[in-house]
Amino acid sequence: MKTPSFRRLLAAAAMLGAAVALPAAAENEKGFKFPDPIGDDKGPGTYTYPTDAVYKPGSFDITEFEVVPRGNETEFRVTVRTRIEDPWDSPAWGGNGFSVQMAFIHIDTDHKKGSGVQDGLPGTNVRFAEDEAWDRVVIISPQGATRVNSEIGLKAAQWKDRIIVPKVTRATGKTLIAVVDNDKLGGPPQTTWGYQVLMQSNEGFPDKHDLLTRKVNEFEGQHRFGGGSDFDNDPHVMDILVPPDGDATKKQYEILSKYNHNVKCGPGTEPCKPEDLAVVPMVYPHAAGK
Amino acid sequence: MARPGRVLATIATLGALMAAPAARADMLNFDMSGKIYMKYMYQNDNTQGCLSLSNPFWIDNIGGHNGVCSEFELNIKANVGPKVTAGVRLQSRWGAMWQDWWENGDLKPGVTDTSGESLGMNHAEYIKLRAAWIRFGPPIPTVKWITVGSTDYSMWNEWTIGKARYIDRDNGNGVFIEGAFIPQNKLDYTIGAMALPKLWAGPGWNTGLKDNEPLAYLYGTDWAFATKLESRPYDDLRIRAIGTWAQDWEADRYSPFLTGSPDASRCDTSGSGCPDHSVKLATRFRGINATLEGFYTPSWTDLFSISALGAYSSNYVNPNYATNLVRNGQGFSPVVFKTDANGNPVASVGGAGRVDLEFYDPFKIGLSPKFEYFNISSEYNAIMGARREADVLLTDGIITGGFTRGGQLPTLNVANEFQDWDEPWYETVIGWTGFTTVLEQVLGTVKLSGEYTYVGYNTNMQNRDITNQYPTFLYTHGFTDTTAYTADSDYANVYDRGKDPRSVYDQFQDRHTHIGVLNAQIPISMAWSPLINIKGKYVFDRDNRDITNPKDDYIGRMWMGFIQLTVQPTNELKTFIGYEYSHWSEDGRNGSEAAGFWPARTQRHTARFGFTYAFGGVLCGYTLEYFHKNLLRDPDGGYYNMIWNVWRAKGTIELAW
Repeated sequence: MKTPSFRRLLAAAAMLGAAVALPAAAENEKGFKFPDPIGDDKGPGTYTYPTDAVYKPGSFDITEFEVVPRGNETEFRVTVRTRIEDPWDSPAWGGNGFSVQMAFIHIDTDHKKGSGVQDGLPGTNVRFAEDEAWDRVVIISPQGATRVNSEIGLKAAQWKDRIIVPKVTRATGKTLIAVVDNDKLGGPPQTTWGYQVLMQSNEGFPDKHDLLTRKVNEFEGQHRFGGGSDFDNDPHVMDILVPPDGDATKKQYEILSKYNHNVKCGPGTEPCKPEDLAVVPMVYPHAAGK
Repeated sequence: MARPGRVLATIATLGALMAAPAARADMLNFDMSGKIYMKYMYQNDNTQGCLSLSNPFWIDNIGGHNGVCSEFELNIKANVGPKVTAGVRLQSRWGAMWQDWWENGDLKPGVTDTSGESLGMNHAEYIKLRAAWIRFGPPIPTVKWITVGSTDYSMWNEWTIGKARYIDRDNGNGVFIEGAFIPQNKLDYTIGAMALPKLWAGPGWNTGLKDNEPLAYLYGTDWAFATKLESRPYDDLRIRAIGTWAQDWEADRYSPFLTGSPDASRCDTSGSGCPDHSVKLATRFRGINATLEGFYTPSWTDLFSISALGAYSSNYVNPNYATNLVRNGQGFSPVVFKTDANGNPVASVGGAGRVDLEFYDPFKIGLSPKFEYFNISSEYNAIMGARREADVLLTDGIITGGFTRGGQLPTLNVANEFQDWDEPWYETVIGWTGFTTVLEQVLGTVKLSGEYTYVGYNTNMQNRDITNQYPTFLYTHGFTDTTAYTADSDYANVYDRGKDPRSVYDQFQDRHTHIGVLNAQIPISMAWSPLINIKGKYVFDRDNRDITNPKDDYIGRMWMGFIQLTVQPTNELKTFIGYEYSHWSEDGRNGSEAAGFWPARTQRHTARFGFTYAFGGVLCGYTLEYFHKNLLRDPDGGYYNMIWNVWRAKGTIELAW
């Protein structure tokens, strides 16, 4: 057994790791963490997971959102309730080492009326308030960057300058990680910025108008969420961040329930109007004391 | 008489008035999607086709290394009512090359086709019904959904009935009932009855075909039955129990109705009943698998989770109806032909256990340890377990390399076939017992991981019966390369064993294995977002074989080094270039106890370049590979050296709408 070679490899790896890690640790203090309740991965309170075994309980249950500025980059970390797995062998399709989850991190950099985008990305079926419109959105997708960019060009081209596909996307343990250059964010994260994380599921074969998102139907299917409607008036998100104070779970259910239940809009019918959709809030950690 | 023009105009107007709303209503209920997939393959050899490794046994002319092929898929789904949906998938047959022009089939007299009893229209490109299913939720107590028709078997698990590989995703058919005995996920159930796949689920990789059992063959009665119970007594704990039963029946070949005329007077002479236009059934194969799993993810801490699995299997083969391929097929059998001391057939019974403990950055320094203990008995076998595209152990295993991915599966029925050279390979873990430790370190943008695994073998045994009972797959000393095969009569790895250089069963085995793996993923902060992947791997594999013979030991050592650089010059384009070096040093690899054993050395240099390009829904991919390989063997043992200088490429383009 060539033990010396093996040891040499280990030592080299450790040194390399340490060299990269030390400056990063020092920068960590500028970031913040924002917790989210366990067990609220039910959208407006009624949503259920698809029936296929790959959608394990807790897969879409955000437990923590973290922003970690580091030099010219910022790392976004979205932690869920269960270990993140790769049941669909994402390297086979140029993916990032996980399969099922997908998260949209919306950022409001100015908190001003008339600035930013109020519409949610195609397939999320939510919108934002006028003074909390998003200016940037970071997509954490298991799909390779070229595929995500292609879908953006096809379905959200009008916002392509605001949509950020991270330069590094990966999963470790229960955490999804995205690393983004600060210049794409418009600068390093500021304490005044607001955030909203929409937890969705990666759909490799999305609907014609959806940005790689998995649909919510009235009843769950093998690869469809249930508990919503068969139209696109209901929010197609399983978990979101909510501003602190009060019962966060209850608040989320209320927020996501406020859509027009009486309209039938979406593919095959009339397009949904913005006013039919639920409005999700931005969370301003600085204001929340985080 | 009305003028023809006016009549036509009236009809057209009437038709338009009637058709418009009707068409819209119909289309609302027709959710259609299509997909085109094309593949180009090149290799500097004289084979032609669009599949690197096709059926390894018999003739089929899909496989080959030079050609371009196309495929079309049409999916139609319908929401018939709030709780009634249905769907079909129509797909063209794979195999026709662009050069085939008007070729529409290849059926020739005397040619045996691998598809069992179909016509072998491999180049016809006919559109085939690949899936049809109906799903509905009737108002029956406890029942949520009933699904009838095509399925991918994903509701069970790898240890019982595994999810079908992607290209077979709709080939399975059955009836499934999902429901809840106690609401709020306290006790859910799924039961299913599935048609047993006649072409792989049983002894001889079939469930009784005409060629194998001329008088008794019968596969229309073969089914697998399964039940799953799942409970979350509280949020932190999930428990899942699965039991499956695969039953392969044949016609009782001694049934009076089959052995002579249906003359009532034969009742007196047959001794086993009357030729009364009924036929009794006899068991050809019976496979039973069961698992009990627990998953504990505490809500009071984020630091760890733990899961455990226990599994049981029993496989009975009736040698009166299933040819003993251990004895008559050079050891090629996905089942053990177990007999008792008197030579009577008995069930081959096995168990398995696995415990996983994973920590999530407990020291808040980015370090996450994982531990796994596994113990799979020598005769655990899931005949319908996952055959590929799954992985039941934490370890990297023996089979994976740098470019080559792979996994471990608890079945002798592994399917390393109908795949290309850039696809993963899978190895069986039957008999494996040991543990794996993985340390994963995230340091800023860098991700490092290291693994150590020890594998002992419950299959270690002296003087095992490999003549009649335990399959050895022809060669008990396998080959070490998953991507360079069929060079000569050695049949390197084409027989479903994967890279594991030792067969599951051997006459003499006293084996253990150490595996060490290091991985690094290093993004670099500069234009084009370069990403470097590095992997190093060492495998030490020792088999003392006959413990009374000190000269027959096998000692295998593998070193593997891999580095790849990926860059993304534009939003649409991503390219990579990589290099892998592997070296296998194997003492006592070839030979026999009687004649002695001789060493072999294998060196391989592999370089790959490739890109993916995605634009407006079109996805393109191209990979070019060159490898140089030397296999050095001892001429004293009657072996010769071999060399490979291979260029090959694979390109794909796909579009879904």
